[in-house]
Amino acid sequence: MASTGDAGALDTAEQDRARTRGRIRVFEAVAMVTIVAVVAGLVLYPIYFLLQAAFDVGLPDTRPPTAYGVQNFAKLFDYPQVIWNTLVVTFSSTLMALVFGFVTAWILTRTNVPFKRTLDQLMTVPYYVTPLLGALAWSFLGAPESGLINQYWRWLGGSEAIVDITSPMGIAWVMALFEGSVAYVMISAVMQSMDPALEEASQVMGAGRWRTMWRVTLPLVAPGVLGAAIFVFAEMLGSFSVALVLGTPARFYVITTAIYHFVSQYPPRIPLAAAMGVSLFVVMFAMLWLYRRLTSRTSYVTVSGKAFRPRVMDMGRLRWVLFGIVAFYVFLSAILPITTLVFTSVQKLAVAFPAASNFTLDNFRQAFAINAVRTAMLNSVVLGMVTATLGVAITGLLAWIILRSRLPGRGVLEYLAMFPQAVPRLVFAFGMMWAWIVFPIPLYGTFWVLLIAYLTVFMPLGVRTISGVVLQLDKSLDECGQVCGASWAYRLRTITAPLLRPGLLAAWLLIFVASVRELGASILLMGPDSKVMTPAIVEAWFSSSSELTAAMALIQTVVITVAILIFSLFPQRLAVHGASAQ
Amino acid sequence: MTEAQTVPAIDVENLSIRYGNVTAVESVTFAVPAGQQLTLLGPSGCGKTSTLRAVAGLETPTSGIIRVGGRPIYDGKRGTNIPAEQRGMSMVFQSYAIWPHMTVFENVAYGLRVRKESGAPLKEKVHHALEMVKMERYAERNASALSGGQQQRVALARAIAFSPSVLLFDEPLSNLDAKLRAEMRIELRELQRRLGVTSLYVTHDLEEALAMSDQIVVMRAGNVEQCGTPSEIYNYPRTAFVADFVGSANLITGDVVESDAAAGTVVIRTPDGMVIHGTTRGRPVGATGTLSVRTVHLTLGSEQPASDVNVWSVTVLRSVFLGDISQVHVRWSDQDLIVREIARPSVTPGQTAYLHASPSQCTLLEA
Repeated sequence: MASTGDAGALDTAEQDRARTRGRIRVFEAVAMVTIVAVVAGLVLYPIYFLLQAAFDVGLPDTRPPTAYGVQNFAKLFDYPQVIWNTLVVTFSSTLMALVFGFVTAWILTRTNVPFKRTLDQLMTVPYYVTPLLGALAWSFLGAPESGLINQYWRWLGGSEAIVDITSPMGIAWVMALFEGSVAYVMISAVMQSMDPALEEASQVMGAGRWRTMWRVTLPLVAPGVLGAAIFVFAEMLGSFSVALVLGTPARFYVITTAIYHFVSQYPPRIPLAAAMGVSLFVVMFAMLWLYRRLTSRTSYVTVSGKAFRPRVMDMGRLRWVLFGIVAFYVFLSAILPITTLVFTSVQKLAVAFPAASNFTLDNFRQAFAINAVRTAMLNSVVLGMVTATLGVAITGLLAWIILRSRLPGRGVLEYLAMFPQAVPRLVFAFGMMWAWIVFPIPLYGTFWVLLIAYLTVFMPLGVRTISGVVLQLDKSLDECGQVCGASWAYRLRTITAPLLRPGLLAAWLLIFVASVRELGASILLMGPDSKVMTPAIVEAWFSSSSELTAAMALIQTVVITVAILIFSLFPQRLAVHGASAQ
Repeated sequence: MTEAQTVPAIDVENLSIRYGNVTAVESVTFAVPAGQQLTLLGPSGCGKTSTLRAVAGLETPTSGIIRVGGRPIYDGKRGTNIPAEQRGMSMVFQSYAIWPHMTVFENVAYGLRVRKESGAPLKEKVHHALEMVKMERYAERNASALSGGQQQRVALARAIAFSPSVLLFDEPLSNLDAKLRAEMRIELRELQRRLGVTSLYVTHDLEEALAMSDQIVVMRAGNVEQCGTPSEIYNYPRTAFVADFVGSANLITGDVVESDAAAGTVVIRTPDGMVIHGTTRGRPVGATGTLSVRTVHLTLGSEQPASDVNVWSVTVLRSVFLGDISQVHVRWSDQDLIVREIARPSVTPGQTAYLHASPSQCTLLEA
């Protein structure tokens, strides 16, 4: 370090630096205001139009509204059946999903069940199968007339139908089957983070196994399970695809499908649909707020940030029974649906006992031959890649600002970025549709609207995934580079980017997969020239053959599986390093 | 190191750091003479790490001046604040901050590459730095495959590889186990002496501070409590906090009955009539005063020592065997005193014994 030098020259140099720093501050402030404005625009602009429509009691088809009022909300009570259906389906599916999640989580974390690791990995498969595919497959299995299960039942001598998947309980069953995997992940995390010493202390004091479970284990996991219950309930309330596929043909509506119905029927009943959307959004928002409160405060003893090795009960021979229970869940929610789709897609006309001549690959050929279907598939993949790439850049920047900067307003930014999580995608898309129709630049019905919608609704997913990785990185890794003399850009290239790479790749994959299989937002926002895959599958199911639909659903699954496989080839080594840097 | 360079001194003047309403550091002033090592010592939350980070440029102070080699790198009044990457310092972090995605060699080479070194000279310097910390065999190892002690050594090699003029240490040994810590303490001190680099060291560990520093600054709640050499700090604590934090001491308070400014002596009488002779170290003497006596500076025996002052008859309460030392609690008038002896205790609980302290080791504290 030069300690000599002309004092006057030094002074000017320092004044220059001071001025530069001043400019940087201004630049930071401008950048921050811009970012907050853009995010707020993306998130709040559609919500504003949703609210406007919900309170619009003026002349129909006149915008902006000529009068405001709450009458649209009063009209909700003209549809008690929809509200009742929603409650029945939501409560039953939540209950079932929690039972699935709790039982499998308990078995896999607290007992010596065989093949634990494999089962744990298989438990996440239903999440990738998706409720839509599950609903299609279970409809092939359990439709009262044509369902395979009922065909076999009648062949065995039964009469009528043994299962009816289009009944409220049937719908709840399919929803629960696929949400069970989410409940499993949440509840097993709670069970894993409990210090086994707390239970050991109880046993040392003389309490037996059951007393310990009743007095120590359950109270400790209760807040976490309650949190999972609220989260699952909110998800079920906003779920759309299962009720659409299974309920609509029999005119069984829950609130989300009712909203879709009112928007897409002719003439549309926009204000009523908006009022329904706002009500749904308010309830979900309250639920998720409650969830956040519960999980941030009450997991008092159990979560200490340490990973414990939970105590494992020796179940003796019973462990094979427990293995059977978990395996059966995986069978029902992953293996059976996919097998059914394959079985259906390779037949000319799907029957329970196909003759050899009935088998064909025509459905796949047809899927690739129909122009609309082919374009939809291509569109989805391209849109997925663009969304994922832009999404990672945007959410990466957001996560970095929220967690690592000291800029004022980053708290607001976090709330804005996580906000779309509380709005069902269908309701959000409805707001967007309503907003973009009046937007001066004609974007409605183009890819751009879909892209903007995807970027907005998947913002929480990206921010959450990347935040997880940013939090794992010790701040001093970057500071050390700074003290070593490296500039901001040099550090970004040599330290920050390589360390964040695994997290960014994971976020890319998650956003890509979510985009390719997106239904709720796409079904309202796609135009005739911007078809995407998942709505096309639903369309095919309503208007073409089941066999073609099954083939399309399988093609989509293959696309997603290939993407996951490509990414699993990336070295996982880095992720492990990132974690050990703490 | 290899080339001759001027080693700068660090001057910190009236440094204050506030976070919102919280004052972490309040008007702290100290100087690290060129080529020496100064340690900021204090309990957690005393502002020592904030001070170090402000010198590094990782923290922006609220006011004050920081100079290196006479040149201001931070000046609150004039708005000077040179970014960390342009200060030419080097730092060893508490968490080591070893980059897990690089090899040991690449970690150590980082600062040199930033300075556009390459080829043979780069290899030579990295090798030299690794040699200094005895890690040359691990150069091609992946950095994440190292033990804590090895990571510590790599962090050190990385910090010295580009011949920085100033080295900063943020509690570098706190994550090591006790035995390794004692070893590294000596190695680190040797290395610092050999390189002759100006160092600022932060720790909460007393032994570390005493063993490694030319100068110690004891901090408490954002303020400097005392500056001095290790032996000054240990033998003549200025305040009750320093007496208590730096080693263990007995504090005795009473009225001043006699004092001699020229000889630097003082005599204190406790409320229950015990009389102690002590030394003022030139500190102002008031009507009352507190003397600090290190627990190891008290001697205990069954026979009366041949001294006419500071000899008291006490009752032995209990003795605790601590391995290298024994700790004896004695009843001394109204208060209990603690005596630490190196040998096994020569007294048994319940007996009466003679306690003695040399007046020069009973230090008057500043009020």
